This record gives sequence, structure tokens and C-alpha cells, in this order.
Amino acid sequence: MAGGFACLLGAQTVKAVSLPELENDPKMTPKRFANQFEGFEYEFFSYVQRPEVFLSSRRGDCDDYALLADRILSRRNFTTRIVRVVLAGRRVNHVVCYVAESKAYLDYNSRNYFLNLDRSGPTLREIAEKVAASFEANWSSASEFTYDYATDKKTIVYTVVKTEPPSRDPDRQPRAGGRN
Amino acid sequence: MKDHTLRRVYGLFLVIFAILAVIAAYALRSLNRSVASTDWVNHANAVIYEAEGTFASLQAAEGALRTYLLTGDARDRTSSSEAYALLDEHLETLKALTRDEAAAQAHVERIEALLRARVGFAERVETARAASQTASVQALLGEDAGSTAVGEISREIERLVALQATLLTERDRQAFLQASTTRWVVGTGVAVNLVLFGVVAWIIRDDLQTRKKLAATLQASNELLEVKVKERTAELAATNSQLVAENRERRWANQALEHQLRYNQLIVDSVHDLVFVLTRALKVTRVNPATLRVSGREQAELLGRSLGTVLRWNATTPLDSFGANDPLAASLRDGRELRGQPAELLARDGRAIAVILSCVPLRDRDKVVGGVITLQLTPASSTPSAA
Repeated sequence: MAGGFACLLGAQTVKAVSLPELENDPKMTPKRFANQFEGFEYEFFSYVQRPEVFLSSRRGDCDDYALLADRILSRRNFTTRIVRVVLAGRRVNHVVCYVAESKAYLDYNSRNYFLNLDRSGPTLREIAEKVAASFEANWSSASEFTYDYATDKKTIVYTVVKTEPPSRDPDRQPRAGGRN
Repeated sequence: MKDHTLRRVYGLFLVIFAILAVIAAYALRSLNRSVASTDWVNHANAVIYEAEGTFASLQAAEGALRTYLLTGDARDRTSSSEAYALLDEHLETLKALTRDEAAAQAHVERIEALLRARVGFAERVETARAASQTASVQALLGEDAGSTAVGEISREIERLVALQATLLTERDRQAFLQASTTRWVVGTGVAVNLVLFGVVAWIIRDDLQTRKKLAATLQASNELLEVKVKERTAELAATNSQLVAENRERRWANQALEHQLRYNQLIVDSVHDLVFVLTRALKVTRVNPATLRVSGREQAELLGRSLGTVLRWNATTPLDSFGANDPLAASLRDGRELRGQPAELLARDGRAIAVILSCVPLRDRDKVVGGVITLQLTPASSTPSAA
């Protein structure tokens, strides 16, 4: 992930959770997932950490968290979307994982709060507005992308540009067979 | 406050509120434009950031690739792949950011074409290196040695950045003009409103002064009226006192007059002679008790009747026998006293009583209005004679 981002952290000693525990938890929900990361510390990595490393070190950044959430929750049949928001002027990107069923996104910066799910509308524009507001900043673009741990490849699905009319946002246009 | 003043004040406040509404609407519109302008500035900076990021990623990727070609170390290959993935990410974002700007899009398309060629070259070299085809790798690198592709990409990115800088300058100029216009509109509106507030204050002050003047005039008028009322009241009190005094004096005068009248009546009533009070036409208006006693008549029989019905000169000569020459009539007409005239009083019982008649005319300011007849009984009066 290019660029850095601000995260709110609170040091706390909690038993490390393993990837199999997360993947095999039959009661897994977005809230339950987010609760596991209370006390994780922030450290920026220019690449996406392997989940095992992230969970065992309890250190990582926003895309480690969002991509892992996407992997775990999508296996539990939650409809997830990975969203990257480009914040204006700061050369900062921020990645969150939106869960359609919860009408909220998982943000690494909210992991230490009781309300660790941030409610938002489903469009990229709404998510970007909410994320940018949490940084007290403007945003210039927001992209939905997919990520494959095996190939370490991110694929942008579509990008919303703030200066364009909302009616022309790609995620509001009908897409044959696309994710929405 | 007077009606027209209220109307003027309300009207001015209406104008003030209208100006405020216009200012607020304009300021809101300006604010929205300012936000939009900020978004465009952020957009241009994002384009520049993504363009520069694209080139930086290309350089990083190619650097790592060349290291990999030299060392064959998998970590260098991974670094190269990551850098190419980041390049792709930047490029995709750049394409999205410029899809609405034809000029920028043209630059991005050229950049993309050049980048795809570089990525294709890198894939070919990497594949050859992975297959340990050193000759192929050397041949490919040899072909690329004279290539100006990277320089071309760099120049195209510089052109794109220059274009964004131009747009930034133009948008900054528009934002400056917009801010100047907003300042002018808001400043003018505020100034006009201040003037209008001043006018309203002046109108209210003028009205208050007029009201004060009116109040002072009214107070002066009231004071004058009060003085006049006091003066008039004093005059009325004085007049009343005078009237009371006059009334009292008049009452006293009337009382004295009545007293005198009663006194005179007593005198008349106490006279032994017979007394008749007559009008000028010889009608009896009053008699004394001696008359009633001697004549044997009631007062009602005598009052209002002609004197001739109870008195005559003698048995053959009634009072009006001489007409205009009758001494009694002449006495009253001429205002001369008449004394010692023999006459006869006719009593009720038919007797004729001899009397000596005297007449004194009654005057009111030199005008004879009647007369007083006194009858003295003679010694012969005791001898009754037939009427």
C-alpha cells in the first residue's frame, strides 16, 4: 500500500488469535472479527503482510486488517468489498472493508473502540465521505478492488472520482455480472 | 409611533432582510463553489501524485528487475513484481482521475501504451531469466539499450503534470476572482444594510423627537388650560360669592319690603275711616276692615267691582252722573286730590250711609295708576236712609 495513514491505537495485552481460529469460527460476524483486533498496534508496511504474520505479531496497517476481514468474512457468506480511499493533499490512502449485511465498514483505526464498525451507505462515494471525515480531510478518489493472497495481486474493480457528478459514479451504473 | 413611520421602518427592514437573504444565498453559492474549487485542486494534485507515482513505480520495478537479472535472487523478483503491481495501481487510478479530461486522457493513453510496452518487455526478460536463457536476456537488454521509451514516458508525465499545473493556475485564478466578487458582494451588502440601519435609526430618532415635541406642546397646552380653568374657577367663585351676597341683600330687602307692607297693611287696617284702593278705572282692588264692617259686605263682593256699585254722590246722583266731569274721575285723571266731598255708601242691607269722601291719586313716576278713597262717617251716618 503506498503512503501512510493515521491510526488510533491503545496498547493492550490479549491472547493472539490464529488464522484457523478465525477461519473456522462458526459464529464469525463483522463485529466478532473486529473484536479480535483490540490492542493490535499500528505499523506501516509497504506490502500486504501474510495473515499469519499479521495475527502473530499483532502489528500491521489498514490494508492488512481490511484484506484479512474480506478473506474471513467472505468465507462466512458476508458480502464484502475492499475500498481504498485516496485522501487529498496528504498523499495518504486508506483501506477499509465494507460489509453489506452490516451496512458498515471495518476500519483498523476503529479497532480499539467499542463501536468498531463504522456505519455507512453502500456506495463508494458514501464510504469515501465517511472515511475522509474520520480523518477530517477531503478525498479525491475511491476504488474498490480485489486482492488475492496467493498472487499478491490487487485488481481495481472501479474507481469513483470526487469531482465527477455522483450520478456518473461507476458503482451506481448497472454492471453485468459485476460486484455491487 | 405614527403609522407612516411604522410603514417606513417595516419597509426598510424588509429591504434589509432581502439584502441579507441575497447575501446569504450568494455566500452559500460561493461556499459551494469554493468547496468545488478545493475538490478540483485536490483532484489536480491527485493526478500529479498518481502520475509521479506511476513513473516512480516504473523506475523501482525496472531497477529491481535488472537486479534480479543480475543476481537471480527471488526477493528481487518479488520486489519487481510488487513495484509493477503498484505501477498498475497508480495507472488505473490515474486513468480514472483523467477519464473526464480529454487533454489529460490523451497523455495518459500515451503513457499507458508506453508502460504496457515496458511491462511486456519486462515480462519477456523475466521469463527468459527464469528459464536461464542468458543469451535471450542479453539480446533483449541489448535491444532495449538504445530505447528512449523511459525518457518518453518521463516527458509525457511531465506534460501531464504541466497540464495539471496550468489547470491549477486557472482554477486558482477563478477562485481568486470568485473570492474577490464574494468579498465585494458581501461588503457592499453589509455596507448597504448598515446605511439602511442608519436610516431606520434616524427615522425612529426623528419620530421620537417629534413625539417629544408633541408631548411638550401638549403639556404646555394642558398647563395653560389648567391656568385658565383656575382663573375661570376663581372668577366663577367670585361671581358666585357676589351673587350670594346680592341674593342675601335682595332677600333682606324683600323681607324689609314685606315687613313694611305688613306694617302698612296694619296701619291701613287700623284706620277707623273707610278706605278703598282703586284702579284708575275706579275698580276696587282693596278695602280695609272698617269698610267691610260698616257696609256689611264681604270682601269678595267688593274686590274687582266698580266703586259706583257701593258709592254714590247722593240719592239721585250716582258716581258717573257727570261723565267726564265727574269730580272723582277728574281727580284721578288729572292727579289732583279731592277732599270733603259728601257722598253715600250703600250698605248690604240697603242703607245709604252718609260719608265725606276724599281721594288721593296714586302715582308711579308721575303717572296716575289709581287712587285711595277714604270715607269719613258723618254724624248723620247713624240715621239710616233707604237706598
